[in-house]
Amino acid sequence: MQTEFAPYPFTTIHHAATVPRTGAGDVPPRHPVVIVGAGPVGYCSALGLASHGVPVVLIEADDSVCFGSRAICISRRSLEIVERLGALQSFLRIGLPWTGGRSFYRDTEVLHFTMPTDENQKLPPMINLAQYSIEQSLLDAVEARPDLIDMRWQTRVVAIEARDDGARLRLATPSGEYLLDADWLVAADGGRSFVRDALGLKLQGTSYEGRYVIVDILLDSARPTERLAYFDPPCNPGSTVLVHKQPSNVWRIDYQLRDDEDPDAAIEPANVMPRVESLLAMMGETAAWKPIWMGIYKANALTLERYRHGRVLFAGDAAHLVPIFGVRGANSGIDDADNLAWKLAFVVQGLASERLLDSYSDERVAAAHENLRHGTKSTEFMAPPSFAFDLMRRAVLGLAVAHPEVRSLINPRQTSAITYADSSLNAALDASAAVAAGPVPGGVLFECPLTIVNADSVREGHLTDLLGPRFTVLHFVSTVENARQSLDVAGGDGIERVPLRIVRIAPGAPRDAASVDAWDHSGRLFPMYDAAPGTVYLVRPDGHVLARWKDADAATVAAAIGHALGADDSRKTA
Amino acid sequence: MTPLAPADLDDAYTRLCHTMTQLGEVQATIFLARLAVLALARADGADAARRLIDDAASDLAPADNAAQ
Repeated sequence: MQTEFAPYPFTTIHHAATVPRTGAGDVPPRHPVVIVGAGPVGYCSALGLASHGVPVVLIEADDSVCFGSRAICISRRSLEIVERLGALQSFLRIGLPWTGGRSFYRDTEVLHFTMPTDENQKLPPMINLAQYSIEQSLLDAVEARPDLIDMRWQTRVVAIEARDDGARLRLATPSGEYLLDADWLVAADGGRSFVRDALGLKLQGTSYEGRYVIVDILLDSARPTERLAYFDPPCNPGSTVLVHKQPSNVWRIDYQLRDDEDPDAAIEPANVMPRVESLLAMMGETAAWKPIWMGIYKANALTLERYRHGRVLFAGDAAHLVPIFGVRGANSGIDDADNLAWKLAFVVQGLASERLLDSYSDERVAAAHENLRHGTKSTEFMAPPSFAFDLMRRAVLGLAVAHPEVRSLINPRQTSAITYADSSLNAALDASAAVAAGPVPGGVLFECPLTIVNADSVREGHLTDLLGPRFTVLHFVSTVENARQSLDVAGGDGIERVPLRIVRIAPGAPRDAASVDAWDHSGRLFPMYDAAPGTVYLVRPDGHVLARWKDADAATVAAAIGHALGADDSRKTA
Repeated sequence: MTPLAPADLDDAYTRLCHTMTQLGEVQATIFLARLAVLALARADGADAARRLIDDAASDLAPADNAAQ
């Protein structure tokens, strides 16, 4: 019997090929930055660079956003990044926020987990949003920057010549080929990266044998948004099944295949339909449903050793493949883009030495290893790689019913923001040790509500609202205006052109609101950061703390920025 | 006895799984038996040891031919 599929509740726009007018002469046009691959990582890289005023060319082989079931969960950290890129409203309007999930063993609930969230947060810990919507939301933001982002659809890289001063690309379009030179090339062209292959680079790590079938279905259900995991469920004994609610009545179902099942046969609709039907029956979902899409997944835990190769920078799946369990794929790619964008912008604009881009590789390779460590543990539980993992999992699941102390082993270890503890950019570590609370150098800001003073208004907001495409100096000051309120970092030696904003934060409402930029109306911010008048947190454009001092003067803060940007050696080579 | 913190339990669990994988399925039973004996020997008193045994067996059905 023919299976009737439903379309995704999403209108895909197909874009015409973009072929630039070729200039006169034999010299190909030269661009400061070319990004290969318009997926979440390519879009975020382009938007990040544009936010710093750097023009980019963004190349995509396809003629539309992606199709099928790919990334589905966007973390709070990614939402913070997306907000700085100007696409948050669309993510929040469409996405389904959630805070936790349930795991079942056979017919018993063995774990109800919640992700960290509290009254200080601005954003949910996670939203569910299909990748086509993620991409469309970012594309809308890209299309609002035609002045800086040159989007070229149906353009495929067919050859790369890496050079000391950049790369020459041969690009194929439906109406012919052309050459393009780039000072810098960002490879965001996915797991099967052409750029990676062209440079002869290989991902290294572990590929797992266990396979999952992924099915998107259309089902109208009032069930809340949470992550559901069924281990050895009555509907599919011996298997593991994951269920995620997506926007617009799409439900994403992942189920594990037995080792003896043929993967090609397993994704035949005739084999998928009864499994989904019995799952829905077990869940008590009785409404009519239709399949939308079916695919198969095998976990990989792989990374390149380095993400910078001369003038070519790798990001997202082109740089690393992390298992889906724990939702670190798209989220780590968005983090890559956020880390890369400001560094590349500063280098292109002559504000930093090229060494800053080595820190992109160092920080994000370290992050990939941490993501792989967690992702590997999740995979070992979700797709046991040996009889031992399988046996032990049965033991844990059986014991978890009566023994809460083992339930943490079932926790899906969802992605969380990563601290660049060993980054060479981190400064003033001795001074940092004297600060008893708050994010350490390399960490991301702890969110907290506060009142923000603008030129013509005062509003309640959050700490991350103060960030922008620049360094941010959080200068904790006194409510009473005095000479120590001033911190003239901008005039620092060697960093005169570096974009930076000093934000004066008072512990309470000052008599003259205009004397500060924000104040701690909840009374939670100062203790959370162990702050007193004089305390300074220096924050990078990507929201990671660079240094912190219980008390600092302008020259000290300027020196930390100069250190991070390699101001000394950029002057030497200028 | 202080219970293991979740992260430590997680690491110990993973180490156990890898060790058992290396030893192979044939030796898995004797490996787990030795682990059980060591855990019992380090239990915090006789009651604790008895509870470990009872908890481990609690929801497993006895074999059909088990001696009464």
